[in-house]
Amino acid sequence: MIEKYKKQIVQFYRRNKRMPNFSEIMKLLGFKSKNAVFKLVNKLAEDNFLTKDEKGKLIPKNLYGELRVLGQVEAGFPSPAEEELVDTLSMDEYLIKNKEATYMLKVSGDSMKDAGIMNGDMVLVDRSLTAVPGDIVIAEIDKQWTIKYLRKSGKDVYLEPANKKFPNIYPTEELNIAAVVKAVIRKY
Amino acid sequence: MPYGLLSFPQAILHVDADSFFASCEVARHPELRGRPVVTGLERGIVSSLTYEAKARGVKRAMSLRDVKKICPDVVFLPSDYETYSLYSLRMFSIVRRFTPDVEEYSIDECFADLTGLQRPNKMSYEKMAEKIKDTLDSELGFTFSVGLAPTKVLAKLGSKWKKPSGLTIIPSNEINTYLNKLNIEAVWGIGPQTTAYLNKLGITTALQFAEKNEDWIKNKLTKPHQEIWRELRGQMVYKVDPNKKSSYQSISKTKTFTPPSSDREYVFSQLSKNTENSCIKLRRYKLAAKKVFFFLKTQDFICQGYEFKLVRPTDNPVEIIKMIDKYFDSVFSTGRLFRASGIVLIDLVENISRQADLFNEVATAEKISRIFGSVDGISRRYGKHTLFLGSSLSAMSKHQHSGDRQIAAERKDNLFKGETARKRLAIPFLGVAG
Repeated sequence: MIEKYKKQIVQFYRRNKRMPNFSEIMKLLGFKSKNAVFKLVNKLAEDNFLTKDEKGKLIPKNLYGELRVLGQVEAGFPSPAEEELVDTLSMDEYLIKNKEATYMLKVSGDSMKDAGIMNGDMVLVDRSLTAVPGDIVIAEIDKQWTIKYLRKSGKDVYLEPANKKFPNIYPTEELNIAAVVKAVIRKY
Repeated sequence: MPYGLLSFPQAILHVDADSFFASCEVARHPELRGRPVVTGLERGIVSSLTYEAKARGVKRAMSLRDVKKICPDVVFLPSDYETYSLYSLRMFSIVRRFTPDVEEYSIDECFADLTGLQRPNKMSYEKMAEKIKDTLDSELGFTFSVGLAPTKVLAKLGSKWKKPSGLTIIPSNEINTYLNKLNIEAVWGIGPQTTAYLNKLGITTALQFAEKNEDWIKNKLTKPHQEIWRELRGQMVYKVDPNKKSSYQSISKTKTFTPPSSDREYVFSQLSKNTENSCIKLRRYKLAAKKVFFFLKTQDFICQGYEFKLVRPTDNPVEIIKMIDKYFDSVFSTGRLFRASGIVLIDLVENISRQADLFNEVATAEKISRIFGSVDGISRRYGKHTLFLGSSLSAMSKHQHSGDRQIAAERKDNLFKGETARKRLAIPFLGVAG
């Protein structure tokens, strides 16, 4: 029950950017008397959820339970699932290392099909990385983006498709590599 | 001028993206590099332009037709604010890797306070400024101009000193050299009136201004200009304010529609749509407006507007639209063609619970505001404008631009499976790779 009360007080705090006063708590929680509110407030103060100033007004303390250390019971019982999930990644975190440098492109054509990159696929690329031979890169060829393997043989740096029907690309001038491909996403 | 012993008693950085909107476009369209590129097609006027376009004489706010005359090979693109906003957020995040004190000054500019961070960042202020610029350039794919100085006014002057892609460092002992070469009107915060006044007093360069003594300045100028004088002398007055823009002086929404229309109901629905949009923003920042200004722009760019006060602060579009309806005909006239409508919400206050009134109007208003709480909830889940007011219907059901300007920003034509026209992935799209 007390967790439910806390939740309602937190909601009030979010909505109004201040703590409720006693009569507001009474209304909020459907209490019949201020004495009941008084008792609840004392309980919440014990829990370090809130505290009172010298005039008796309420001040938030650990409304969101920041102090709760995992594995230790500080306020209520943390659900065991919460602990187990600490070391998991979201799909975003899994796919994206440097958020500010990550961009997406749409693949057109099948020049990379043997690398499993198909027409219409989405690729996530990182602009902050320096490409090394063997990477799949986004390069600028004839003022267009192209997706290919970056290869090096001797001193020659060139682009190699993953499809025998397409020729290697040997840049005539400086090769401008815009980004390194980090993921391919295809949604069915 | 007396200066302290330190090169940087405080180290303030100003970062300014070079031709921001146009640069975002070139960054994802390699075929546009080196060409005169301009954005703002949907409004028919230049809103941002590349240096190549600038070199050809194109200027901001020029009309499409005038641009084509002086620069026939111009690439005129519709604005894609969604992408520009994504780039803008990235710019701020990158600067925040170096310091938590970042002030988002506008969509393409920010200030950062680097004071005291040499040791944690393991580099000098100069190196930090250079590193921030390099990171922005490489991760965002276009160039930024950066100024480092002991005050905001000097830092801003630094980022403007050399553009594009400049890095200008102004330590205390070199302030004079920079101010000597600078006309007084180029100083941030000195407008044409003050310039004229200072010229009469024999001051034409920023250095002459900065070298005046305090008595003279206090005698001749008001407080804001006294502050600029201090800042120019390397004494910090303006602090970098890292609190995210959570309060707005005003919120405005203006939208052009093509073709222009003389249909009263349609023009009104455009205004209604703008009102809804501005109220969404109000609610996001938990604000309420006390005053409203709305206007219509005719085909020949004549603006007519009306300002009114609200009975009580509100974030509810229904209340505002009701009032606009009352005054609409003082602005709208039959037989004229209108091309744009806009609304400005002024006198914003924090939206807190209000005093009850005699006729229980507050209670009704609270009920309505609960409804809009749900509308916002539905929008978050299903996309913006899933629900809208009936008065906005004609504006919502038609393309904002039809005819030769009906060019949606490219992103909307390149959706991935699962994306909708209303809701897309929040990652900038670089285009198609073959």
